[in-house]
Amino acid sequence: MDRLPYIGLDIEGSDAKTVRVEYSPNRPDFGTDYGIARALRGTMGKETGLQTYKSLPSGITVTVDPRLASVRPYIACVTATGLKMDDEDVRQLISLQEDLHNGLGRRRRRVAIGLHDMAAVAPPISYSAKPSSFGFKPLDCKTKMSIGEILTGTDQGKLYGAVFKGKNLYPVITDAKGTVLSFPPIINGDATKVTTKARSLFIDVTSTEVRAGENVLAILATTLGEMGARLGTVRIGYSKSTKVTPNLRPSKMQLNLRLVDEILGLGLSRNQVVECLRRSRLGVDGNNVLVPSYRFDIIHPVDIAEEVALGYGFDRISSFYPESRQPGSFNPASQFHERAADIMAGSGMVELMTYELIDEATLYTKFGRGGEDRIQVENPRSLEHSILRDSLVPSLMATLTRNVKEEYPQRVFEIGRVYLRERGTVSEEWRLGCLIAHSQSSYTEAKTYLESFVRLMSGKEAATQPSQHWAFASGRCGAVSLGGVSIGHVGELTPESVVSFQLGVPVSGFEIRLSPIYERLK
Amino acid sequence: MSPPELQLVQRVSQAPKPPTLAELTKAFSSGEEFSAALGRARSAGWITVDSNSSPPVVRVTNADGPKSLRELLESISKGAAEDSLNSKQREISKDLVKRGILEYEEERAVSISITQQGTAALSSAVGTNQIDRLTPELIASGGWKGKTLRPIDVEAKAPVFFPGRRHPVRDFIREVREAYISMGFTELQGNSVHPAFWNFDALFIPQDHPGREMQDTFYLRNESDRKLTRTGLVDRVARTHENGWKTGSSGWQYRWSVEEARRLVLRTHNTVLTVKALSESREQETRVFAVSKIYRNENLDYKHLAEFHQMDGIIVGKGLNVRHLMGFLREFYKKLGLSEFKFWPTYFPYTEPSIEIIVYSEKAKDWIELGGSGVFRPEVTRPLGVKVPVLAWGPGIERLMLVRYGLKDLRELYDSDLSWYRSRQEIASS
Repeated sequence: MDRLPYIGLDIEGSDAKTVRVEYSPNRPDFGTDYGIARALRGTMGKETGLQTYKSLPSGITVTVDPRLASVRPYIACVTATGLKMDDEDVRQLISLQEDLHNGLGRRRRRVAIGLHDMAAVAPPISYSAKPSSFGFKPLDCKTKMSIGEILTGTDQGKLYGAVFKGKNLYPVITDAKGTVLSFPPIINGDATKVTTKARSLFIDVTSTEVRAGENVLAILATTLGEMGARLGTVRIGYSKSTKVTPNLRPSKMQLNLRLVDEILGLGLSRNQVVECLRRSRLGVDGNNVLVPSYRFDIIHPVDIAEEVALGYGFDRISSFYPESRQPGSFNPASQFHERAADIMAGSGMVELMTYELIDEATLYTKFGRGGEDRIQVENPRSLEHSILRDSLVPSLMATLTRNVKEEYPQRVFEIGRVYLRERGTVSEEWRLGCLIAHSQSSYTEAKTYLESFVRLMSGKEAATQPSQHWAFASGRCGAVSLGGVSIGHVGELTPESVVSFQLGVPVSGFEIRLSPIYERLK
Repeated sequence: MSPPELQLVQRVSQAPKPPTLAELTKAFSSGEEFSAALGRARSAGWITVDSNSSPPVVRVTNADGPKSLRELLESISKGAAEDSLNSKQREISKDLVKRGILEYEEERAVSISITQQGTAALSSAVGTNQIDRLTPELIASGGWKGKTLRPIDVEAKAPVFFPGRRHPVRDFIREVREAYISMGFTELQGNSVHPAFWNFDALFIPQDHPGREMQDTFYLRNESDRKLTRTGLVDRVARTHENGWKTGSSGWQYRWSVEEARRLVLRTHNTVLTVKALSESREQETRVFAVSKIYRNENLDYKHLAEFHQMDGIIVGKGLNVRHLMGFLREFYKKLGLSEFKFWPTYFPYTEPSIEIIVYSEKAKDWIELGGSGVFRPEVTRPLGVKVPVLAWGPGIERLMLVRYGLKDLRELYDSDLSWYRSRQEIASS
């Protein structure tokens, strides 16, 4: 169990009999115990090197309707015979199928799998295009339904039917007797349903990308091979070519010892490298590494280096820290923000960090403004975090609401990012926002803090002149400028907004852009 | 509240012509209240009901009575002692108290004064050698000389005071930045909004990768970077996705779309900043870092936030390998007070090997997963024109913050709970 993390399996939890692990999406071969055991036998040295899987022609052919080229063009199949599956085997196979559907299959859009009891299948098989009126009895349904009814009236149809948008032909797999095996990627036929009694399976994998479908089939076939099944190949007849599936021959990748050492720095001999690769269940043939068909995540020689590291054991790699030859440096803008925050905290203010994505009520409604040019995110999980703020004041007001039971005076500030729509694009800006809440809070107090901040940061005086702003009360609002450049506003919050934020004390404050002050210093 | 009889007289006297009973009734909340007011005003002789008119009208007969009552109420409203009222007023006010119009409160004042014996004892004890407190006058005159300050209760509680403070997360970020600087890193800062190209494509994350879906990533509604075209770097990245380009990879084998790469996203990791810096720099040896916010489309709960921070860094240089990466990570976390590590293999589309960093926290008495690291794949570096190894990592900071402050819920960090911000211990250990 201690070794599981070192082959890339994250332990989620365990008890006396079971261990729950999480596997990475690049290793679908870890989708069953059989695949994990195959890898563990390697790292523990019990069985190393390439695992091969024999397959013999099953004699079954699948004819592909050329009209499917624009619907769901590819199919790959395998047969598995001599199976003795218990409940647990069936459960694992189905959970592997689900994982493949969701991961590599991209929620069945790219790849879909059909498992069938071969005893119920009469070859040859045809993969053909049917109209929506075509009907059959879908899996676990009592009656026959048409494709149209399945798409609109079943859960699976609603979940996965979007792939047929704008199409009027649908892919269906049938046998010589006309029995429907599957309507991919939606649902299988009921006639070929798999139970623990099944001794042989027929598996179809349909896809929109040829390689993705064949990869998925390789995972399924080699897993069944590990379960002790005899694998049979199926001949797929396209209109212009034929193909035999599955292809379980290992692929070859050059063994580049120099690259391995460049990446790992372990100074391993060729023999050590070969042994590590064998422990990762890869083979070596002369100058080539043999990569099993289920390891299609290996796409570059650097992936071979990682396999060496896995075979060697990440925990055995000794670390070494190279000292830097050059000094480090802070980003001048972030350092400026740091100093600005220190000045504010030194003035007695508490620093806040609030969310940039906020809700409509806080940002607009409570200030009685419309927010027509709001910048929204697509499909937010929560409406509380759905609009990018264009001002800090709303976030700070919401903070005061959360702290009405806290002792006053409350003086808070934030140096944060706001988002604005400018010349047809979204721009970002760093601002300083500050609010002062207590029974005597006033324009003058806010202006005192503002002026001292600007003076201390820039060495110049800020100027204010009468202005209007949605957050501040008319007659108690000043536009702030520095050297003729407008930088923000200071004022007393409107009584309406104080009340909508459920506050019982007056609030004053300011919000200014930091870049004009920063630019002057450069 | 003024007594109803006063309101009645006021209405009658303000009316242009003597009002009828029916007209007056309307001004009162109930008929009962009206008849009570009418009864009191009549018995006090303030008004009369003139039955000669039809219907009968009400006239004021004595304006002084109501006036003196109004004056009495006004003076009492400012708080009047019972002693200050004459006997007639006292009688009226007693009645008003009974009716609930006035409130009667008893106050008791106790005055304490020092006796002659006390004064004598004081002068013998203190003499004139003690002063209550040092004043500017005493300093100027030198009057404090030869005197002592009167002892006070030094154990008495002083008032609570809340100084201005930095945010706990910013405090921690400052520490992280200092650790980086001390190790020779240059700090980066950058925008939160980027085209998907920089956030995903440049990192060899295929366009149909589940992590790119809206369930995980914040895309800006109807926004895209139309200036991004499939030329130069963008084309090299596109070809790397499609067939590996000249990187030695087979690529992801699909048709790459520029439209998808143009969509604007809130960065889902800060690797976007380090990779951009990598593309702009021609340095063959460099160390850069960025500690800033990242955004994920999550439902907020105790272990998920939609906005949080990562401290990404890269080291670029000839001859760098996995051992250096592990060495750097150990050294870096040591500076943050952590010293026991595990490195587990993991997977990211843009690094190979990919390493998960796990550290032991003495404080939490547990191992905690901090995030990912690895060596950038050639599919990432070659299109950028980088030919030397790049070590990269991007662990989060919030989980370390939880340990440091003994919190159980990530949301507490950004709850804006002033009581915690005001009272938290300044120096906490990991």
